[in-house]
Amino acid sequence: MLENTTELSNAAKGNFIRTERFKTTYISYNFYLPLDREKTAAFALLPFVLTTCGKEYPDFSKLNFKLNKLYSASLSASAEKVGDYQLLKMSISVIDDKYALDGEELVVKAAELLNSLVFEPNAENGAFNAADVEREKRKAIEHIRGELAEKRIYARRRMIEEMYKDDIYGIPKCGTEEQVAAITPASLYAAWKELLSRAAVCVNVISSVLPQNIFDDIKSRLSLIDRSGAITVKDSTPTRAIYAAKRVEEEMDVAQGKLVMGFSAEVDPDDRKSAPFTVMCDIFGGGPYSRLFTNVREKMSLCYYCAASGEKRKGLVIVDSGVEDKNARKAEAEILRQLEAVKAGNFTDFEFESSKRSIVNALKGYGDHQGAIDAWYTVKSASNNPVSPEEFAQYVSAVDRQSVVDAAKTVKLNTVYTLKPKGDK
Amino acid sequence: MEKQIFESEIGESYTLATLDNGLKVYVCEMPQYTSAYAVFGTKYGSIDTKFSKNSGPAVSVPEGIAHFLEHKLFESEDGDAFTRYAKTGAMANAFTSFDRTCYLFSCSDRFEENLDILLDFVQSPYFTEETVKKEQGIIGQEIRMYDDSPSFKVLFNMLRAMYKNHSVRIDIAGTVESIAEIDAELLYSCYETFYNPSNMFICIAGNIDTRQVLKRIEESVKDRGEVTVGRVGFDEPQEIEKSYVEQKFPVLTPVFCFGYKQRIESPYRRLKSKVCVELLLEIICGEASPLYKRLMDEGLINDEFDFEYFTGRDFAAVIFSGESRDPKAVAAAIKAEIASIKEHGFDKRLFSAVKCAAYGEAVRMFNSVEEVALQFTECAVSDYELFEKLKMFKTVSYDDVLKRTDIFDDSLSVLSVISPLEEA
Repeated sequence: MLENTTELSNAAKGNFIRTERFKTTYISYNFYLPLDREKTAAFALLPFVLTTCGKEYPDFSKLNFKLNKLYSASLSASAEKVGDYQLLKMSISVIDDKYALDGEELVVKAAELLNSLVFEPNAENGAFNAADVEREKRKAIEHIRGELAEKRIYARRRMIEEMYKDDIYGIPKCGTEEQVAAITPASLYAAWKELLSRAAVCVNVISSVLPQNIFDDIKSRLSLIDRSGAITVKDSTPTRAIYAAKRVEEEMDVAQGKLVMGFSAEVDPDDRKSAPFTVMCDIFGGGPYSRLFTNVREKMSLCYYCAASGEKRKGLVIVDSGVEDKNARKAEAEILRQLEAVKAGNFTDFEFESSKRSIVNALKGYGDHQGAIDAWYTVKSASNNPVSPEEFAQYVSAVDRQSVVDAAKTVKLNTVYTLKPKGDK
Repeated sequence: MEKQIFESEIGESYTLATLDNGLKVYVCEMPQYTSAYAVFGTKYGSIDTKFSKNSGPAVSVPEGIAHFLEHKLFESEDGDAFTRYAKTGAMANAFTSFDRTCYLFSCSDRFEENLDILLDFVQSPYFTEETVKKEQGIIGQEIRMYDDSPSFKVLFNMLRAMYKNHSVRIDIAGTVESIAEIDAELLYSCYETFYNPSNMFICIAGNIDTRQVLKRIEESVKDRGEVTVGRVGFDEPQEIEKSYVEQKFPVLTPVFCFGYKQRIESPYRRLKSKVCVELLLEIICGEASPLYKRLMDEGLINDEFDFEYFTGRDFAAVIFSGESRDPKAVAAAIKAEIASIKEHGFDKRLFSAVKCAAYGEAVRMFNSVEEVALQFTECAVSDYELFEKLKMFKTVSYDDVLKRTDIFDDSLSVLSVISPLEEA
């Protein structure tokens, strides 16, 4: 599927992923920068400012009008944490020219639009337009505040903050409210300059044909920027095991309590070596055949959800569940008991095979979603020999029981975070 | 079996088969994809709380029973469906909405085996007092989870203020108290009424072979005898219960739903009418509209702002939702914009742009086997033809859309707000 990779500049590459499946062409810009306590908020705001207006479209209504005329071309922005790095994404998706009702050129226009937004912002004299920055800051702050309303997300974020108090991975992905408030039009402009010169860049094009000149255009734009100091993405600092787990409890006016448990694990992030970790997390708390689903939910009827997920770059396993406060300790004990069972190899062949089949099924379906293909190659582009979803599926199929047990044995409880209903004892 | 084939200008086609027992089957071959997606559904949802079977007496059942039945159907006498799917690797799930219950799976291979599992478990109810009891604990926690969701609360608070009698005002999962009344016998009675092929549909899209799929379905879907479902009317008056409702919650920014109840004459809306309302909403406050810009510039909305035409059997409303420091100001601005459009019309350039965008969205839907299969469920429940929408954007006129401003009546509008616990 990955047809070719083009060097665009120092630490910048373009991936063309050819596929005939879709009615749309999808193009994404991906910028990697190391997480930085002081700068994360400004970098995280950039994709949102840049995709709302630009030099050519200083008014977001005009930009949205243009997107409508491009048959609902969709511009997206995101800022995520990937290990110890920040991943800033800006993308556009547009229906292919052959579907235009009046023979309009859509794909080239959309590609040009995205390029112009990334490289020609609505800025002058070393500062972004003040009204644009204020509007996006307000939205970012409201978004941070809005997270408090979604208890499952909030509880997971709080657990990570507590678990990684002394590790850069613990900082919020878009910075704090105070940090966002402190951004100025000039500081954001400086961040944009730094983004273009210092970030590792990967541009993904997922389409049946590579839009003409797209990579040449980006190459010539990047050639005007000094990228001699651009970073390369390295392995993240692994999570260290600790002897006594931390316990954090918070009270809130909620109906249902939340239990989030964080574990450290030793994982080699190399794809071939990390496959047993992926299978282990899934047997523990993945699909409906997993230990947590069948025991904590189905047998004990304690909760609606109780699931485990792994982040191999950090060597992190998170288990989260929504439970009545009076059952929280019981659920916690059962979660730990199920982990011990996996460590002892006390899982059935059925659970083991079901887990592998389910992961392989999902991996084989990646190619059916442009977003999933983009996410896969964005993350893989940071490694030297990117494998395809199909190749990773082969690694998963080859995992044996013993390697799952070995992966589980490295898993150690680190932090238990409980969100308790107020006054409910 | 009756078969119809539909083709479109964008290169897609599908088959609609109606079996002798009344089951409708929609199949779209998308051979360029690896995976396939299948849904087995019934026109039975949370609003079906009062009904009769074969002209018998009308019965009332506990709130949330359709959703409860969905959970329980996964269990059969010889194990549960999840265990069977685990043997094939498929991803399986189900959902219950206001007017339908759907069981689905997605898979990258072994499609026919998965289809067999789906056909079998949906047709094999098995409920005991013991398994019903166990599920009350799990669903109880699902309900508690929604109790903490402001976006869920703000919607249902609005629906309760808007509808006096219609069951659309009740929570889909019911309440901890209402589900305590559910027993095996009631579940069987609902099953026998609504899970009859004549009330059901199967929707499939992806890498499959239509002929083989239809053959399998025809062999497997049993004729369960004729059942006529009597849908008891909701006796819903035109007026609303109240125009403003507010609840305190642990949030930092207020969350709102602002809706207009529509006066309706027939149970369902026609596709053209839906399309026109959707275009009108884009003109009123879509991202390219003047109102959207004003609200954004004044700091009254953010990216959470959204709107929808919310309609199903015997209900229709337009809902605007989002987060705002001042929901009342947002509602007032929307009202004023609608009044202005009613009086002066709207920008023709904007109309052509939103039509273009809506066409693009309709094409984009064919990017996903899941989307296509789920759109088929909409076709089955509301009796649409899938490609009709694509054609409609070429014919729908300015006047068609302007006419739809008649659905907005300020005296039938409701503002629901979730506000922070303490005023900052």
